[in-house]
Amino acid sequence: MAEPGQPGDPQTAPQPAPAHDGPPTAGSPSGAALRIDHLSKTFPGTRALNDVSFEIRPGEIHALVGGNGSGKSTLIKILAGVYHGDPGGTITVGDTTVPADHTTPAKARAMGLHFVHQNPAVFPDLSVAENMVIGHGFDTTPVGSIRWRGLRRQTQALLDRFEINVRPEALVRSLRPAERSMVAIARALQDQEGQHTGVLVLDEPTASLPRAEVVRLMGALDRFAAAGQTILFVSHRLDEVIDTAARATVLRDGQLAGTLVGDEITEPRLIELIAGRTLDRMYPVMPPVAGDEVALEAKGLTGGPLRGVDFQLRRGEVLGIAGLLGSGRSELLKMIFGAYPIRSGTLVVEGRPVRFHDIGDAMAAGIAYVPEDRGSEAAFLDQTLSDNVVASSIRRYWRGMKLRNRAIDHDARDIIQRYFIRASSEQQKMGTLSGGNQQKVVLARWLSRGPRVLLLDEPTQGVDVNARAEIYSLISKAVGEGCSVLLVTSDFEELSRVADRAIVLAGGRIAAELRGAEIEPVRLTELAFSTQEVAS
Amino acid sequence: MSVVADATAGESAPIGGSPGSDSPHHVGRSRGRALMLEFTERYALVALFIATFVFFCLWSKTPGFHNASNIKNVLGDESVIGILALAVMIPLVCGEFDFSVGNNAGLIQVLCAGFMARLGWPVVPVVLLTIAIGGFVGLLNGNTVARVGVNSLIVTLGISSVLLGIVEWYTNGQSIINGISTGLVNLGTGEWLGLPTTLYFLVIAAIGVYYMLEHTPYGRYLYSIGSNREAARLVGLRVERLVLLAFVLSGTLAGVAGVLLVARNGSGSPQAATILNTLQALAAAYLGATAIKPGRFNVVGTMIAIFFLAFTVNGLSLAGVADWINDAFNGGALFLAVLVSTIIGRRRAGTG
Repeated sequence: MAEPGQPGDPQTAPQPAPAHDGPPTAGSPSGAALRIDHLSKTFPGTRALNDVSFEIRPGEIHALVGGNGSGKSTLIKILAGVYHGDPGGTITVGDTTVPADHTTPAKARAMGLHFVHQNPAVFPDLSVAENMVIGHGFDTTPVGSIRWRGLRRQTQALLDRFEINVRPEALVRSLRPAERSMVAIARALQDQEGQHTGVLVLDEPTASLPRAEVVRLMGALDRFAAAGQTILFVSHRLDEVIDTAARATVLRDGQLAGTLVGDEITEPRLIELIAGRTLDRMYPVMPPVAGDEVALEAKGLTGGPLRGVDFQLRRGEVLGIAGLLGSGRSELLKMIFGAYPIRSGTLVVEGRPVRFHDIGDAMAAGIAYVPEDRGSEAAFLDQTLSDNVVASSIRRYWRGMKLRNRAIDHDARDIIQRYFIRASSEQQKMGTLSGGNQQKVVLARWLSRGPRVLLLDEPTQGVDVNARAEIYSLISKAVGEGCSVLLVTSDFEELSRVADRAIVLAGGRIAAELRGAEIEPVRLTELAFSTQEVAS
Repeated sequence: MSVVADATAGESAPIGGSPGSDSPHHVGRSRGRALMLEFTERYALVALFIATFVFFCLWSKTPGFHNASNIKNVLGDESVIGILALAVMIPLVCGEFDFSVGNNAGLIQVLCAGFMARLGWPVVPVVLLTIAIGGFVGLLNGNTVARVGVNSLIVTLGISSVLLGIVEWYTNGQSIINGISTGLVNLGTGEWLGLPTTLYFLVIAAIGVYYMLEHTPYGRYLYSIGSNREAARLVGLRVERLVLLAFVLSGTLAGVAGVLLVARNGSGSPQAATILNTLQALAAAYLGATAIKPGRFNVVGTMIAIFFLAFTVNGLSLAGVADWINDAFNGGALFLAVLVSTIIGRRRAGTG
């Protein structure tokens, strides 16, 4: 652990002789930092992994990619010792080899595998500083009290290094999910500092991070790799795989689909391997905006971080909203949905000024909202698909003093078909579905109401390529039927392909508006960042 | 909870038809096993109930167990506790505790007896008024929990203690015996078609709550709130109002139980319903959540559980075991029920 005041930039930090040097040594004949041989995993009825072998070289950033059901989470869990593999497979880190059916969390740790999971184990009721040291003991005075000042200084240095804009004494509960993940990643990486041995395994570290933070985080990973750290990361986001990974291993249906190296890592190649076929168009052709009829208008909308936002959304239009974390993009959607207080300004829905007292009013006006955080804001995980799908329209089934349960299940089956949801039946529990399918359920919940205005907050976050394509085609279909969409996304590629028009939020205001061909990832990135600087 | 679910709900889950399932033979067998498991889980409590019942009928140390009078007595007494179990279940469905149902019923029964005995008020208005007071206690609970956002466990535990104090003050620790409407007592101690009348009240209440939870939108709303409160809010539910109503219903049912206690006992006693009855009711609700619809609070399961617990305790006392065993049994049942229902619920949500 770094001394206070020595933030220990990995490039300048003293580097102990790496255990796994570039050239092959006696201990690791292949020169691999991590090697997986003939790894299989059989669940009752399913083969999650089938004879997978690949290796990760020292000091490289290696991406593990695959759709939902490809087996990559299973693989990570075997590495972490949460699951046992089938007999016959082996896992080798440096010169230690462990049979795949004998993995345990303790062995994984001893071998030098360090994990940051998708939903990191942070303690919400402790401060950021406490979270940083909780795993390896507090630095105490001789009488046993905690050296708070040193701890704070140390944490501040760490936060500065990772460019996390929170105070060391802030409670983790008060942070946004994105910031929480960053704290957890910083915590895991601090363990690694100065001793770049073993392998850092990140399971979808960026799933809940907005684009700008992803860029920073990936930059940090690059620096660590340059200093000799081996990193394996699982990701759904192809752009970050392309930007960051030296090599990428793709799994499909539990088998190795291929490993791409360097320049071979391109979006079409990745998609081809992930999907097993070329997705000619992941992004659909969006129907053109029909006319000039205004579906939704905001005039001087103020509240929370927003300081006067004006825009018009036309019928059948997809209006993209770009902005960094904290720009107020999520609050904007919630205000329109009646779920966040509006301090001043007006909303006009189809020519009529409206004032929503609660969400029910907004729903009655034909507005639908798919929140950013599916787990905590949208999914009823212990309820059935049927319950989840009709959650927003149960009242419809209340006829003759009786809830028409059979009609609900019937409609749910129909919706499962129409919205490409892969499930064994409408009675399956939501929590047993993959992320992509859960997202389709949430989308179906709202689209089946036939909304006039659809508010989408990061609709494809943590969703695999196939499910993404399906989600886009569902959105496209709704738009074709006259629905207007406000799309908040940190994936600027997605924004440029799906939106007819885009606005950039910064400093609580609309900083820029782009149309048609102007909406382009590089331009959006520039605007989102530069306006942020101007504003602050 | 949802956080954990998200992490594991990914590709690994071997549930359902995930891609890459190889042999259909394999799948068939595991599905058969899953169905067996499901069936066992649903009816384990029923089987246990029947087994215990038969055991006490045959056991030589409990010869009086299968006498009609004993069985009627248990059915009649426990019906009141059954109504308390229904009362405690409604807030549980939306994720809230109501620890005050026992003491609420205790208050209502001394008030009900007292209004008749000391004030000489006629029975019908007294019954209606006291049930309404039960509902009002629920309103106090619900308002604090739902609108102010205080933890329901603490609120209802606090209120519970306040109610206990009021009961002590009102009765001076003495039972109210004289001056209670004989009509009410005849109703509570009588039999219809050979079964105690209180059982009919329980059946009516159970059907009412069952209908509400399973066949009205309100029931669905409560289950949704219990599953994910924020998601429930974001599908347009007025969560505060719905939770408040759950407490009012709970308090009202506790009021009904209090009135039935007066009718059955012919008196209002400061010890007739206390927090121990709340614990019994909680045990039944949690135990019920392991049966019929495992992982979910449900009326049928709760009803089976209440009589399972009652007959077991009755059998044990007939066999002459010490009184403390009964308390330990009820507490132990609550402990085990919470444990098992949590495990089942977690596994069913795909997080286990």
